[in-house]
Amino acid sequence: MASCWIENSTLLTAIVGTWAPFVTFVLIMLFTRHRPKTSAGLSLASATVSLASALVLLGGHWNLQRPLEYTGRWLVSGDIYIPFGYLLDPVSLLMLTVVAIIGFLVQFYSLGYMAGDPGFSRYFALMSLFLWSMMCLTISPTLFQLYIFWELVGLSSYFLIGFWYEKFSAGQAGKKAFVMTRLGDVAMFLGVLLILLHLGNLNILEIDSPKIVGLMPPEMLTLAALLIFGGIIGKSAQFPLLTWLPDAMQGPSPVSALLHSSTMVAAGVYLFERLFPFFLFSSTATTVGLAIGTISMLLASTMAMVSRDIKQIWAYSTISQLGFMLMGLDAGGLFAGAFHLTTHAAFKALLFLCAGVFIHQYGTNDIYDLAAKGTRRMRVPMLCTIIGAGALAGLPPLSGFFSKEVILAKLAGLPNPIWLVAALLGVFLTAYYAFRPIFIMLFPPSLPAANASNAAPEGTRHRLLYRIMVGPLVILAGATVALGFLQTPLRNFLAGQYTGLTTAGGAHLGWLPYVTSLLATGGVALTWWEFGRPGARQTGFVDGIPVIARFFAERWYLDRLYRAILDHAVDRGISAVLAQNDTRVIDGSIDGISRGTVLAGRLAALINAGMIQYRLLMIFAATVLLSLYFFF
Amino acid sequence: MHMEFASFPYLSSILAACLLGFGAILLIPARHTMLIRYVSAVFSGITLIITLYLFCAYDKRVGGLQFVEKVPWIPPLGIQYFNGADGFSLPNLLLTGLVFFTGVLTMWRMETRVKEFFALYFVLVTGVFGLFMSMDLFFLFVWYDVSLIPMYLLIAVWGTTRKEYAAMKLTLFLLAGSALILPATIYLFVQSGLNTFDIVALMQPGTFGESQQKFAFIFLYLGFGILAGVWPFHTWSPIGHVAAPHAVSMVHAGVLMKIGAFGILRVAIFLCPQGWQHWSQLMALLAAIGIIYGALVGLRQTDLKYVIGYSSVSHMGIVGLGLSTLTVDGLNGAVFQMFAHGVMTALLFSSVGYIYDQTHTKSVAELGGLSRTMPVASSYFIVAALAGMGVPGLANFWAELLVFIAAFKVYPLRGVLAIAALVVSALFMLRVVQRTFYGPEKEKYARLSDVPFGLGIPRMILAVVLLLFGLFPSLMVDMIETASIPFFNGLPR
Repeated sequence: MASCWIENSTLLTAIVGTWAPFVTFVLIMLFTRHRPKTSAGLSLASATVSLASALVLLGGHWNLQRPLEYTGRWLVSGDIYIPFGYLLDPVSLLMLTVVAIIGFLVQFYSLGYMAGDPGFSRYFALMSLFLWSMMCLTISPTLFQLYIFWELVGLSSYFLIGFWYEKFSAGQAGKKAFVMTRLGDVAMFLGVLLILLHLGNLNILEIDSPKIVGLMPPEMLTLAALLIFGGIIGKSAQFPLLTWLPDAMQGPSPVSALLHSSTMVAAGVYLFERLFPFFLFSSTATTVGLAIGTISMLLASTMAMVSRDIKQIWAYSTISQLGFMLMGLDAGGLFAGAFHLTTHAAFKALLFLCAGVFIHQYGTNDIYDLAAKGTRRMRVPMLCTIIGAGALAGLPPLSGFFSKEVILAKLAGLPNPIWLVAALLGVFLTAYYAFRPIFIMLFPPSLPAANASNAAPEGTRHRLLYRIMVGPLVILAGATVALGFLQTPLRNFLAGQYTGLTTAGGAHLGWLPYVTSLLATGGVALTWWEFGRPGARQTGFVDGIPVIARFFAERWYLDRLYRAILDHAVDRGISAVLAQNDTRVIDGSIDGISRGTVLAGRLAALINAGMIQYRLLMIFAATVLLSLYFFF
Repeated sequence: MHMEFASFPYLSSILAACLLGFGAILLIPARHTMLIRYVSAVFSGITLIITLYLFCAYDKRVGGLQFVEKVPWIPPLGIQYFNGADGFSLPNLLLTGLVFFTGVLTMWRMETRVKEFFALYFVLVTGVFGLFMSMDLFFLFVWYDVSLIPMYLLIAVWGTTRKEYAAMKLTLFLLAGSALILPATIYLFVQSGLNTFDIVALMQPGTFGESQQKFAFIFLYLGFGILAGVWPFHTWSPIGHVAAPHAVSMVHAGVLMKIGAFGILRVAIFLCPQGWQHWSQLMALLAAIGIIYGALVGLRQTDLKYVIGYSSVSHMGIVGLGLSTLTVDGLNGAVFQMFAHGVMTALLFSSVGYIYDQTHTKSVAELGGLSRTMPVASSYFIVAALAGMGVPGLANFWAELLVFIAAFKVYPLRGVLAIAALVVSALFMLRVVQRTFYGPEKEKYARLSDVPFGLGIPRMILAVVLLLFGLFPSLMVDMIETASIPFFNGLPR
């Protein structure tokens, strides 16, 4: 690699594209922290470079036959070889492009959203840091590299969630996100080590090749797959580690759009795609994965049904959709997962960016407040939200409909029908909760007068910021509509991946699309009945049963449970006991030794207290003893 | 008996720079505090430059002991002034140079008994440098004690919290350590029958029988282990960290604990490899306990320096775990961790030093919102905390990675436990970061100034080093491997 990397145009493009954001990060942190405009310019320029390189790579390798792999030595120690490199194949190229496009759009949008923020430069530095780590994660040829950048995206996520660090809850949320994902990462690291132990290296192509079955005993393979799946659970906020994601909405909205919906949390799903054949070698792992995906999808849907916070609703929907992707992948549908990941990235980024416009304008996250303040007058963002929600709900002909269809077809091919039933239930619930905020915002009980001060953006500067923000919305809305019709080319593109892998084909049930559309429409109709129709009371059917509503709103008490475990078992339990042990027992016994020594010294000193009669007694006794010793 | 110098005596010139600096400080009248500071900075800077030069000039293709200096001192007892540097000692020498120089700069604004402070500080570091370069067992032991004595005074005079108690405790612990090391040293000297303290000569296979090695190893391991903060002999270290003045905490946690680990490597493992193999299970157990225990106890601490102190216990456990694995990767990771932890912990103490000087408190509960008041000073601390959590891109990550891989292979259960402690260490580091630096700005700290450029230099150097070795880990691992692979190949199987 070292000799020819500059001559190899593909590699050069990849290197420039992935490392430009890192250079930007360093430059901003070192030099332009106090010059926000320069920082933003640098950051946007590097995002453009990344975007261009990703598009060039994708376009240049549209008919890729076999994966391109370039590696160079990074670290060698004993028998551990850790290279740094690039693995370009359909899965990574597609993800790279998704990341680059959304990264670019979100950064552009942030020019408007973050304008005037005291941390403007820091924001763009962190965004660049994220872009660099996410792109390097995507093209990793080994699990080592993937793990390293996996941790680094987690780090940028930590900083971006806690971006407004003066807000106590933001810092708290960042910490929670980092620690909870770390929990999954530790499992993943152990799984990676297990593979290393048996395979001797961590090359992804080798892990995916059938020879791994010969090298790892089946139970070890299952264990490794499950452990790695633990990492996916953490990163993609699946059950039971799902509660960090809603809290992560403390970060700025563009951050939620980029990291916590479309790209970083999708890294878990991406890892599954990366190790797709490996996971399929273990049927236990795929079944567990299927179950986890299903539970997360349904659980998060119920939480979204009762939330009042617009960003949290979309966050729950992210968890739910990621679970849905994992279901598709576990059912053996690589294209199903990858396609839904792509469409989801577009429409979820769209939803978050729209929410950002509302929040930026009205300063509240609460959907009822937003409705009362007149979001329906912001035509473009409102329309874009409806398009995004439509795609999320899976309404034809938006992209979400097509990608969900592919997953459902895969699930229908499974022998056990329960997965399909659960997925269909999910479709219904998704449609319901996706349109709940829409109808609430579209049909508020009362509206302020049209000329009220906050009805529309005012002032030239304000107008400019608004336009900057709306631009990406339109592009993403276009993508949301268009992506559904790109199914065939994308399918052909991804067909080059993992050739020779035979998976169970999905069932082609002619009635499935109709049922799905019907369910989705039914969900929307129910929402309309409850929230949209004239005179609706704007309370959901769940709200009618307070116990359940509370149960959902409290996130099934998962958060409370974790908090209790952390507080009582760890903090006040084991940690306190050990801290006591440290001062009292370990250090105490050492202090005891020292006190004992002092005491012994005092006692011994009594003998030498300077009283002549004791001295004489001692001399006498010593003489007697010595003479006894010498004479006998 | 003749003198041998492989090249210009670079190693001795490090010691000479320390002693010259010490002498110069003594000669300057105490009222010229600024001059004393400059002299200290210059001489410590010289040592940093030499160590840096040595690190770069070491010929990795040749490997082995380089820059050798050998002068017979007491021939009847086989005592030589014998210095040399190899892949194990060079990282530590560089670390000492770094911590020494940045420590002087960290103490730039200290006003009490400046002359005495820097004079003692120089003596302390002389001992440390001498220990890392000495290949003669006798000298090594002498250097060990040279570095202990000033420590007592530095803490007892310039310290803060319960300083007399802490100073006494630390000194007694470390003397207990040397009370274990000395008999073992004499035992080995006598048993070898070679009438030499030369480590290179003593480490030839077959010098000691297996039972002799087992016997001597445990003494040496525990003796040096006390200094390395091996659980359960670690309690002196957090207390000592807290009481010591900032620069001394830096040397203390950054370098002094490494002396212990280095002693285990250079003396116990080099001379008694079979003893090492015999006792490795115990070493791994104590190390794994230390890793988890340190992190969990750290979770409860409310004083910034105590938090760092317990994190050191945990991180030094990683060194111990690496040493116990009997693998090349484990050794590489352990030595890398000595270096990385030294730099990281020095950066932590240096940052806390600045914060304490400004706010006059180390209590996490009282601090808060400092990121707004002093963003630069805060970010140095955060960088170090991230390193401590094992975030990739910083040096500690690689060291921990290597150790964990090795440990997982050799001791799966203990390895898994140690890896699980990563979650706890992330939790407690982030907790401190959040409570100290995040949250709303506090009124009483609002007027404090951020770290000026000049005072930021030491922290900048340390942070850059962490990042440099984090991005290019092979700079360090290739160096360590020149020592670890030959050492392994020379082991009796």
